[in-house]
Amino acid sequence: MGALLFRRLLTAIPTLLGVVILSFVLMRLAPGGPFDGERALDDDTRAALDAAYGLDLPLGEQIALYVGRLIRGDFGPSLVYRDFTVSELIAQGLPVSLTIGGLALLLACALGMGGGLGAAVRAGRWQDEAIMGLATLLTALPVFVTGPLFVLIFALGLGWLPVSGWEPGSPSHLVLPVVALSLPFAGAIAKLTRAGLAKALNEDHVRTARARGLAERQVIARHALRPALVPVASYLGPAAAGLLTGAVIIETVFALPGLGRYFVQGALNRDYPLVLGVVTLYAGLIILFNLVADLIYGWLDPRMRAE
Amino acid sequence: MSLYVVEELSARIGDTVIVDTVSFAVEAGQCVALVGASGSGKSQTCLAPFGLSPAVPSGSTQLDGVELVGADAATLRAIRGRDVGFVFQHPLTALTPHLTIGAQLTESWTRSGAPTPSRADMVAALDRVALDAPEDRLDQFPHRLSGGQRQRALIAMAIAHRPKLLIADEPTSALDASLRAEIMALLDELRREHDMALLLVSHDLAAVASHADSVVMLRDGRVEESGPAADILAAPRSDYGRALVAATPKLADSAPALPETGAPLLHAENVSVSFRRPGWRRDRLQAVSGASLALAEGEALALVGGSGSGKSTLARAIARLGPLDTGTVRWRSEPLPERKRMTTHHRRLIQPVFQDPVASLDPQWRVSDIIAEPLKHLRPDLAEWGRAGAVKQLLQEVDLPADFADRFPRELSGGQAQRVAIARALAVEPEMLLLDEATSALDVLVAGRVLDLLEKLQHERDLALLFITHDLAVAKRLCHRIAVMDAGQIIEEGPTEQIITAPAHPITQKLVAAS
Repeated sequence: MGALLFRRLLTAIPTLLGVVILSFVLMRLAPGGPFDGERALDDDTRAALDAAYGLDLPLGEQIALYVGRLIRGDFGPSLVYRDFTVSELIAQGLPVSLTIGGLALLLACALGMGGGLGAAVRAGRWQDEAIMGLATLLTALPVFVTGPLFVLIFALGLGWLPVSGWEPGSPSHLVLPVVALSLPFAGAIAKLTRAGLAKALNEDHVRTARARGLAERQVIARHALRPALVPVASYLGPAAAGLLTGAVIIETVFALPGLGRYFVQGALNRDYPLVLGVVTLYAGLIILFNLVADLIYGWLDPRMRAE
Repeated sequence: MSLYVVEELSARIGDTVIVDTVSFAVEAGQCVALVGASGSGKSQTCLAPFGLSPAVPSGSTQLDGVELVGADAATLRAIRGRDVGFVFQHPLTALTPHLTIGAQLTESWTRSGAPTPSRADMVAALDRVALDAPEDRLDQFPHRLSGGQRQRALIAMAIAHRPKLLIADEPTSALDASLRAEIMALLDELRREHDMALLLVSHDLAAVASHADSVVMLRDGRVEESGPAADILAAPRSDYGRALVAATPKLADSAPALPETGAPLLHAENVSVSFRRPGWRRDRLQAVSGASLALAEGEALALVGGSGSGKSTLARAIARLGPLDTGTVRWRSEPLPERKRMTTHHRRLIQPVFQDPVASLDPQWRVSDIIAEPLKHLRPDLAEWGRAGAVKQLLQEVDLPADFADRFPRELSGGQAQRVAIARALAVEPEMLLLDEATSALDVLVAGRVLDLLEKLQHERDLALLFITHDLAVAKRLCHRIAVMDAGQIIEEGPTEQIITAPAHPITQKLVAAS
């Protein structure tokens, strides 16, 4: 187990390095630069700025310098938000993104697995049809539709919840974005759970469990559920990374000060260090979640544990 | 009053009657065997009354005076946990992969209300079914155990609650010959020890003859004949019974007339094959080490051995269908090129037929395309109409009607699919067939007819056969010589008669004794 973790973390290093170098080169291939504004700068000023941020060095040297700083945990200065380092911007946005995304992930799992389980044990009956129909609907509705709709109904219409914004320590601000973000994922998880369980309930070992005289509830909980969740686990790895980091639309709809908007702004402004910093962080999180998904596989099915 | 009485039991799935007014009884301490071809309703007869199959039972089934048909789910559950134990056919899939052997044993132990067993109790239970290293097994997950070990663990679980009736649904058909004999002997011992009734489902008539007290023979869900095992199997009264008995090859059968053999054809020398083990460690698994084989024209050689002995790996290496580390293979004294350099000319010589007939045919293709495909590549001289003619002729040769050419593999039974696979192999007029357990996945009656077909082809086409099997009786029916493999090596080789009557190596002796 420890050895597996260590090996996986070791293999993460070249992956991250690859991501950094590729993003670095791609950023530079895109036309424009951080100091291009409506008015062109005179050559001396531009040269001075380039020199100050090391943009006049050969590309290879810039990458080496950047990676060197990265190893020390320094993401560098933001070229556009002049008074902030990239680390400070991330430190502001990340907690918001993690809170919204993490809660949405938990809610999606609870709703999805619960719904899928309920549909599978009532397979073929109206409850099954209803839950699966709802799940399809949820996966088809994008958050930029459900988000404003929720605001219209629950904030503006009924006045139960705030319209948008973020106040540390205020749970009511969390409700609408978390629910809106979680619903499509909940739909997908419900479908995967339902399909997985329907298959698992026909497995030989489930028949053995029934032959032992276990109650159907125990048969499902002890023998069928874990194999049924294997496809859910493969979906959750990438989905978690997406939920925790990629909630750009939700952040825009609900005016949340999360990480997503820095990413978009950074890309538009050619704020090289900011984009690289956020990309590296995302890549790191995706690697981490895939590792967690692998550990979950091992728990769900011991045959998948690395020897 | 018998312990388990089945009276006019019927079972249906939807509108289809699977079991039709079947009656029999099992006494305590007795073994009754249900036999019949596949699809005859053997399993459903056992499982439907206990609510373990989708089939709906009617009629009457009483276990120790309690009526099962019509009982509610909770009653059936209580009976399953207390009075009856089940052993199923596929040990590899019958255990829950994420629970340890100990956890699953505890589960069946405590169903009837018994207190949670101590570790020592569980070790003793596993020891009783002769599972090696029982102490360690308790904490292992099922995938650590081999098929035979898992079947022993399953038996331990099935009898943990001291059931009055043990139902064993094809308990040995997924195991190799020597394991079969061991598991059957174990079931016998346990039955006597606990005075337990045993209801055995099997298509292995040899095993039934030596273990069952009486036999119920089913055909299409109805009882064809029933009575004491010795009588029925020695002198079946019905045509069906006679066909069933005749289709089961026996070691004691007299040797058939085999075709004459010709000049040396294939010579494989010192073949070794190894595979990389998964994971980061770089060690290799030696599957075959230094095996040598020779075949003459028209000769049939049986390659026998337990599962995992390297039979298939060796045969595939020889036919250049699998990897080969070292060793040479010569065809009429010309060396065969290595796997990636095999030309169509070389590929034509040796054609394979595999174990699972349905899985070895592409489900999207029609039979005619499946048979014609090798012709396209290996007989480019034939035009489109020439190929169609060849397909028709081949279907006729494997005794399939001509209109089968338009069918898809899913519309074929196992035996028909295997005939298509054989027709495909014959299409390019090979000089040798590689038959990898070609009849093991088939039902007795069907396997018997496929063996008849192979026998006919052997005589008509002067084919050399490399016949991989774990069944010595099948080997005897077709083969001039037998080579016995164990742990990647050929441990004994000789004429069929000699291997069967005077086996020299202890492993061969065990194999012969188990057959």
